[in-house]
Amino acid sequence: MREITPEIREEIKDMIFDYYAEECEVDKDEITMETNPQNDLGSDSLMFVELIEMTADKYDMDIKLQAIGKYMLKSPMDTMKDVVDMFCKIYQYGNDIVDQ
Amino acid sequence: MERAFLFNGIGSKPEKLLVKLPPELMDKYEVYLDQTFTRLGLNKDIEKNKAYDGRVAEWVISLICDRVVYEYYIEKGIIPDIGAGYSSGIVSISGCFGAVSHDFAHDIIMMNRSTMRCLEEHDVKLDMGVVIGFSYDDASKVLEGHFSPDELIIGCGNSKFHVTLSGYADAVEKALELCQEEGAIKVFSLGIGVAYHHPIMKNYSQEYVDLCGQDVYSDPLYPILSIFDYRIMTTGADIMKENQLNVYSPIRWDIALTKMEELGCREFFDVSANGAVSKFSRLKRKCKIYTLEDIYS
Repeated sequence: MREITPEIREEIKDMIFDYYAEECEVDKDEITMETNPQNDLGSDSLMFVELIEMTADKYDMDIKLQAIGKYMLKSPMDTMKDVVDMFCKIYQYGNDIVDQ
Repeated sequence: MERAFLFNGIGSKPEKLLVKLPPELMDKYEVYLDQTFTRLGLNKDIEKNKAYDGRVAEWVISLICDRVVYEYYIEKGIIPDIGAGYSSGIVSISGCFGAVSHDFAHDIIMMNRSTMRCLEEHDVKLDMGVVIGFSYDDASKVLEGHFSPDELIIGCGNSKFHVTLSGYADAVEKALELCQEEGAIKVFSLGIGVAYHHPIMKNYSQEYVDLCGQDVYSDPLYPILSIFDYRIMTTGADIMKENQLNVYSPIRWDIALTKMEELGCREFFDVSANGAVSKFSRLKRKCKIYTLEDIYS
């Protein structure tokens, strides 16, 4: 398990917000932790998959999408906070996220 | 070969396509729409079309949008070295690359009505479903032993993270549930009553196949990569066969794109109004896929 510091958490949050702002063509300042990525930003699951891939590249991780998919069955991504929390867990636990 | 054009064909709702067309392209679209819908006897108010006409009208709109985008790229001096069509994108590329007239391409799309009527007459319930998060191999492993190929197959291997299932509606529904349980990021059925790219479709699409087999094909202006056997097609006869196979043969779009990279393609152009092809093709690809938005801006 990797330790997650406040700095890393902020870095992950910035990466996610930057990504959605660019992909969904919205101003980053309009995105808050309460924003719903699907309903408010019009994001889709393919964008989400690309974000996972981007994260894997950035942090040199081998992430299995099935592990993320199983985690999402019990923890839906309704807000940006959910998304940030999940990506922090991916950073910490990798494919073991499914057991969290 | 450095530059490849990718055609999506049908699948996107008209409102999602048209909102992406800039005003100068909308003018051209309106002209083509008028000409085409008048010839085909379709109502431009899609909801006023009866039965299957409404559905094929949407699909014809997709082809018209592809044509407008294609002609825009050509006018901008972006000339393809090769192209490929995803599913009904084969019909679209056949028209744009000059292997058939645009009218004939639209006639092929219209012939889907006959296939849907035939399925209804035989009371056959088919469907397709999308699985996001699984590669072809991932999905194969999950589905192995649960379904016979007569019931369900992977109709389209799209990318490392995107497959489409084809088969009987109840099998598609069960397969989607199974994929969800096994960790797919998202699953959904298309609910279209047909199972394109499943061999069973051959039993219900004879008129479609016969129309595609008419002696109207010319050699395409640019080579087209077959998405069935990955040959480079340069003759009208090749394109005719590709259109016939399309309705009942599984696709490996992921392999076709890899093949194009092997051929030297480094620039891919999504010939759809809304960048639909790039969405399910771009992941894990080292080459850039340009969309209309990239070129217009």
